[in-house]
This record gives sequence, structure tokens and C-alpha cells, in this order.
Amino acid sequence: MATCLCDAFYDDVAAATLQVLEFVGLDVEFPEGQTCCGQPAFNGGDWSASRRVVRHTLRTFAGDLPVIVPSGSCTAMLAHGAPLEFEKERDLSAVQELGQRTWELADFLVHGRGITKWPGRYDATIAFHRSCHSRGSRSAEAATTLLASIPGVTVKEFGEGEQCCGFGGTFSVTFPHISTAMGDLKLEHIRAVQPDVLVSADMSCLMHLGGRATKEGKPIKTQHFAQILRDAMLANGGTA
Amino acid sequence: MSLWSELLEFGEPPRPDYTISDRDQILTRVSKALEKLPNRALMPLYDSKVVIQHSVLAGRDPVEVLGERMQRVNTKLFPNPAAIVTYLESQGWLRGYCAPALWRTFKAHFGPNFKVELHFESRRLDDYQFSITLAGGAIAETGTIILTDEISSSRLSSLAPWAHFAVILREDILLDVPAGIRALGLDRSTIWVTGPSKTADVEGILIEGVHGPGVQGAVVIEQRVK
Amino acid sequence: MNGRKSVDQAAAELSAETQASVYHSTKVTHEKRTKLLFDQYKNPDQLRQWAGEVKQHVIDNLDSYLPAVEARMQQNGIKVHWAATASAACHTVLDILVARRAYRVVKTKTMVSEEIRLGRFLQHHGIESVETDLGEFIVQIDKDHPSHIVRPIIHKNRREIAQSFEREGLGAYNDDPKTITMRAREHLRHKYMEADVAITGANFVSAESGRIVLVTNEGNSRFCLAATRCHIALIGIEKIVPRDQDLPLFLNLLGRSATAQELTVYTEFIKGPRHEDQLDGSDEVHVIFVDNGRTDVLESDCTEILRCIRCGACLNVCPVYRQASGHAYRSVYPGPLGAVLSPLMMGKRLFFEKADLPKASSLCGACHEVCPVNIPIPDLLLRLRNRAHVRGVAMEGSPPMGAWSVLASQPLAWRTALSASRVLNRLPTDLLPIPALQAWEQSRALPEWRGGAFRKWLAERRRPS
Repeated sequence: MATCLCDAFYDDVAAATLQVLEFVGLDVEFPEGQTCCGQPAFNGGDWSASRRVVRHTLRTFAGDLPVIVPSGSCTAMLAHGAPLEFEKERDLSAVQELGQRTWELADFLVHGRGITKWPGRYDATIAFHRSCHSRGSRSAEAATTLLASIPGVTVKEFGEGEQCCGFGGTFSVTFPHISTAMGDLKLEHIRAVQPDVLVSADMSCLMHLGGRATKEGKPIKTQHFAQILRDAMLANGGTA
Repeated sequence: MSLWSELLEFGEPPRPDYTISDRDQILTRVSKALEKLPNRALMPLYDSKVVIQHSVLAGRDPVEVLGERMQRVNTKLFPNPAAIVTYLESQGWLRGYCAPALWRTFKAHFGPNFKVELHFESRRLDDYQFSITLAGGAIAETGTIILTDEISSSRLSSLAPWAHFAVILREDILLDVPAGIRALGLDRSTIWVTGPSKTADVEGILIEGVHGPGVQGAVVIEQRVK
Repeated sequence: MNGRKSVDQAAAELSAETQASVYHSTKVTHEKRTKLLFDQYKNPDQLRQWAGEVKQHVIDNLDSYLPAVEARMQQNGIKVHWAATASAACHTVLDILVARRAYRVVKTKTMVSEEIRLGRFLQHHGIESVETDLGEFIVQIDKDHPSHIVRPIIHKNRREIAQSFEREGLGAYNDDPKTITMRAREHLRHKYMEADVAITGANFVSAESGRIVLVTNEGNSRFCLAATRCHIALIGIEKIVPRDQDLPLFLNLLGRSATAQELTVYTEFIKGPRHEDQLDGSDEVHVIFVDNGRTDVLESDCTEILRCIRCGACLNVCPVYRQASGHAYRSVYPGPLGAVLSPLMMGKRLFFEKADLPKASSLCGACHEVCPVNIPIPDLLLRLRNRAHVRGVAMEGSPPMGAWSVLASQPLAWRTALSASRVLNRLPTDLLPIPALQAWEQSRALPEWRGGAFRKWLAERRRPS
């Protein structure tokens, strides 16, 4: 699943995800009918609208293939959010079934495929932002394990790494003051360790943090986790 | 809630209607709400000893553990009754209260300059700089003094003076918090004291001696002098 | 409190100094808590899960626990009362006071008394009621409201407090925290001795023994219960734990979660009126079980919030609370716990008044992670957002999702919108999950629109060459 954010803004992240998956030897299908996971309406409280979108996603991703998403947030929506809003619905079990075969990319590579080392080269100091939707999952640990294994990469921890960046979907526009203040705090901690690149498994966090940094006139380079893997692999002469 | 506060703004709040008792009203609503539950959560099977910090206790002498844990919470553990009296003298705290049951244990150590009363008069609570009372026991794991209603005869005496010293019989030392709970028994009012009275309400800065003792002390003895 | 100002607005208006001190002290407490728990236990999460299950078991079986506790307490010589509403609770207290001709009361910090506005009620009826917790005392003399459930004056600095003390005749201006504390000590100890009745809350009640457990660090509750002859405990109906042997788990988690202590300094276990040989303390013990909206919560699909033991850990870790402080929530209970509990306690009819609070969260989940009774707060916030939507509560900033969801369930329309916008070089505001672009762009730049680019790339790549 490409996610609506990649569909609209970050096409290269979707492309990188596909290249990474192919590189580890998988045949990747991209169901053309896909749209969004339904999270915006779910978080907004309009669960019937959200369920309409989730049902569409159910149809689009019917079958038994694992669904790989380059986003902790969309993964959490399908694995946890959708079952919550379908609690009293008759197709709950179908929703749960989809949730169970939905993986966040890093989690899939490390825990689904047993890959703990990534080849190639990427010369950079990386600050990795743990997005909140990876709380309680093994995604963040998986992503940092893989990143740290790439020759040339140094992953730097920064202060209050477990705190939210302030995006929060519609929260970012309905609570703009708090959202921005949270983003500023996060950027302050990140800048303190002087990374070359800010990396995350969620483009939504990066859109917020990167957008804020640009607006402040102090832009910061942001990359999705998949882009780092892809670029490392390409540096090694790996074929995409 | 806001409706209620608005009513307060405008004068006399309404007297509740006593025709249906509040008890019936609450219990009926509770039962009705719970009837709808498809299933009710079961009590988990867990061992209440899971919270014990075994690494702290591990085969060590309970008095040693008690001393170490008391230090962590800023309770001073004295080696013997005489050391308490020496400390009091060094601080210039000469007026105080000693529980009658402990008088024979401490009597010999007090010099003539001390003025020690065996009856705590709560009307004059500011007159006492220190107090010495008998504890019901202690909990080694947390460095806690146990005061019971039955053994520690005046609640105010162990609370109001600036310095309080609890006398603990060695045999009354319990190892851990669950043991402390089991020992509550039939006592009407037990209090566990883990350090001096303290607050961090003003800018998060720790200040000791807010209402109760600013100095909390203890001593472990083998037995009282009878 | 703050009228109907949104949490964001309140945060924007908070002084930088207050915000910084709220942020700093919550952060420090949170970090100490985490260190203590993880240093001492291999798997502290297991403790939180058990504690959560124990409390959920009690809540699901309140119909049998409540009468059982009542019977136990009566056997122990306690008089048990029930109050369905705030007004009933206040009047029950007043009736007990008047029957004793008691006109002076000392109080410990109890959130239930804040809920029912007991202080103002008693004052209205000519009763002197003195708050004895230092923070609550300062709140009382300032006619303010607590902004944190464990640290009521987290929003005040020493200079403001020193001014209040000077105004109240508690000595010349001095903002040294030690001096402030010692002045309160002198003032309050005489208030205890003059009072006839002590009013407290309860942290836990054991169903097995009927014991009331009270914890404080200052020792004010002990002073209240040593100096007076009558004790009234206001207890929310959800405060029960099944057995005495469950107390170690809860005391352990409460101390560590609230203030990063292994045990709170004073932990009191009250079973009934004083022992015959005991010189000080209550001859009469009254318990008032208070509902005041709790059965509304029990009827909802958010009963997990009734597990709450009021430790404040969710406030301390919450990035929104750290920016907004407590008054922004316009409720006795602020922070993540308050965002769930406060609207529910309003009851169905007045739910709308606080229906905006569940939106004041980025759903980051940190609150769930620290909760000592494992309350899935983000799920409950989401349920309440849905409830607000279903009830049609109009809220600023809640974009209608109907049109979007139609689009997002029709792939052809979706794809057209994606790439058409690219051609027209404008943002398809009806498509994006970002309803208010202006609010976004005020503080953040928007990335370049690349709608449909990935699909095009993929199609070209897969075209057989």
C-alpha cells in the first residue's frame, strides 16, 4: 500500500519501498484501486465515513498476501484503529484479518523476513524519529537496527526521542499553536545532535517537521527510511 | 459540574430530593449499566509478591537493608538510644516527649539539661522539639516505620514535633511491603512513615518538614528496658 | 474557569514562563518515574497490566463490590452514606457538620471535593473549611483552581506565592520556598487543632477489610486525623480494590507513577474509629460514596477510565498538557485522563460542553504507555470523538469527512483528482486529509504536489520494453 500521502506528495518514497522489496527478492503487486486507509475520518470521529473507506481498502486488498506499508501510522490504522471502529460491525473479522497481514516496512523486513543487515553504503549521520504509531510495536527498533547496519551510517539518539512531533493528523491544523510548539521542541532536540539527515518511517511526521524547518528558514534534509535503504543499495551497484 | 457551579453563583443550591434514596439510585444505575456487559473482566491470577524487590533483600540482614533504605528516603537510623540523645544535644533540642513505655530505655541517657515529658499535651504542641515513640514495626524493603494505633499511643506526638524518633524492636522488622500489609491485622489506624514530611509544591523544590517532622529518625533495639 | 476557549487558544495565551515551568517539572517527574520503574523491575509493563485487570474486574463487578464494602465498613463501625450528585454529597457533609455543631473543618487534597465544589459550598453555609495540602492551601487563598491533580500549583511561581502570603498576613514578602513552607506549617498546625472535623478523600478502599487507604507526602492527612474527632471521607464509587493483598501492587505503582517514590511518605490504613487506648483521632468515621457522573461513565463504552488512580503520570508525559497546562481543559481533571473523564462526567445531556477536549490530543499514545492501570486512553479519546460526531456536536476545526470518504472509496475519481490537480497546479483541498491548509501554512511549508507521479512511474517501469 502506497498511502495517500505518498500518492499525493512523496512518490519517491513509494518508489523506494517498491525497489527495496524487490531487492530482497519479492514480487510486488500494486493494486491500482487503492486510495487511503481511512485514518483521517477515523481520527476526526466520523467513523461511518471512515468505515466506508476501510471497506474499499478491504476490497482492494482482498486475498492473503501480506500488505506492506511505508508508514507506521497507516499500519496502525489497519491493525488497530479499523478493528476498533468495526467492533460492532458484522465484517469485523474481515477487518481483523486484513490488520493481521498488514506490516510496517521495517517491521516486515526485520521480523517478517529476518533481515538484520543492509548492504551498500550511505555516508551520513542519521537522526531517526520514532513515530508515535510505532509505540508498542517493534518497528522503530527494526528500523534503527537496519539503518545502523548500513556501512557509513551513524544513527544518533536525541533528547526526548519518545515524544510526539506534534503532527497528529487534523490535530496539526485544529491545534496549530500546540502542534507547532511540539514540532519546534522536536527540531531543537534533533538539531542538537547535528544530523545530516532526519529519517523516519512516517512521511506525515517528516512533512510536519520538514515543513516547519523550511518555514523557519532553517531547512533540514528529511528522508524516509525506505529511501535510505534504496540509496544505500544503489550505491552498492544494486539493481532496482 | 458547570451547571452546579452556576447555581452556586446565584445563591442557594437545591436540596437534594430524598424521596428515592441515593443509595438505591446509585446501585440501580450500576446494576443496569453492568447488565449490558457481554462478559465481565475476571480477577487476574497474579501473585501479590511480584512487587517485592528481591535484589534489595537477597539474603541480607534485615537491619542492614532497613538502614540502607532509610538513608535513601532521608530517615536517620541511629545505632542505639544513646546516639539519639547525643544527636538531640548537638542540635540543642532539649525539650521533648518520650512515650512512657520507652522511658526506662532512654532515661539513663538524658542529661539534666533535658526537659522530657511523658505525657503529650496537644494544647502545647509547639513546646515539644522532639518526640520518641514506640513503633509497631518496620519494613526493610522500603525503609518504612510502622506506627499503629494500638502501640503508638498518641498520634500527634509522633507528628507535631520537628524531630521524631521511632523505636523499633528487631523482632518487629518485616522484610517487604506485602508482609507489611499482612501485619495490618485488626489495627484501626496504621500509618507507614517513609521519610520526613515533605513537599515539592513550590516550583518542584523539595522542602522537608511541611506539617510533620522535618527530621525523621529511628533506632532498632533488641528489647525494651522493662 | 476559562469559558469556552479552545485548548489551543489557552495554550497560545499561556505565559512563556508558566509554560516553561510546567514543561520542566512534568518532564523531570516523568523521567524519574521511568528510571525508577525500569531500574527496579524487569518488566514493569506486566505490573501495569495486572493492576489494570484488577481494577477492570472491580468496575465490571461494582454491583457486588459496593454493597460488600458498605457492609464491611459498617461492621468496622463506619457510618456509610451515598450521594448520587454533587449537591447531595455537599449536603450530606453539611448535615454531619451541623449535627455535631462543627463549624471548623480541615481538609486534605481530594479530587472529589474539587468535583463537587465543596469548599465554596461550605463557605456559603458559614463553615470555615481550610485546605491543608500546601498546594491546595495556596489555591484556596488565591481563589484559584488546581492545574494538576498531584501538583495543584504547578502553574505558579514562588514570587506569586510570596505575594499571596503577604496579602493574607502570613508575614512580609519572602519568596524563599523554605520560608514559604515553614510559614504554612505554623499557620496550619493551629488550624488543625481548632478544627472539629477532618474531610479527606481516599486513594483505595479494600473490599475485603473495608480499610481506607490514604497517601500524602506532607503528612497533612495524618495531622487532620490526629487533631480532630470526626473524619468524613469522600470516596468515588470506583475506588475499590478487592483484597488487602492487592494493595502492595497499587501502592507501588501509585508512588512511582505520581512522584517517582517507592512509597509515598505517609501511607495510612484506616479501618474505623480510633482504638480505645489511642488518645488522638476520630471517634466517628463517615464515608460518603459519591457518584456524580460515575454511573454515566459506567453506562458508556469508556468504562476503562474508571480504573484511574489519579497519579498524574499521563499529565506529566503528555506533550499537549506540557504546552497548555491544566486550566486549558476547563475541568477539575486536566490532561489525557481529563480529556476522557471530564466530558463523560457531564452526563449525556451536557456532554457537548466538553466534547472538544478529546480532540486536544495528537493521539501519540504516551499516556497509555505510562498509565499504571493500563487505560487505553487514545482509544477512549477516539470513541468520544465518534460520540461527538454522532451526536452532531459542532466543533471548530472538525472538517466534514463525508465528501472525502466518497472520493476515497472510488478509485477512478481518486486517481483523477490526484493527477488533475497536478495538471492544474493547484491543491485539491477536497482530496487532502488536511482540511485547513491555511492553518498548516501559517507555521509550516507544504511540500510540492506530486499527485499521481508514483503511479505514472510505476506504469512506465512495468511497460514491457
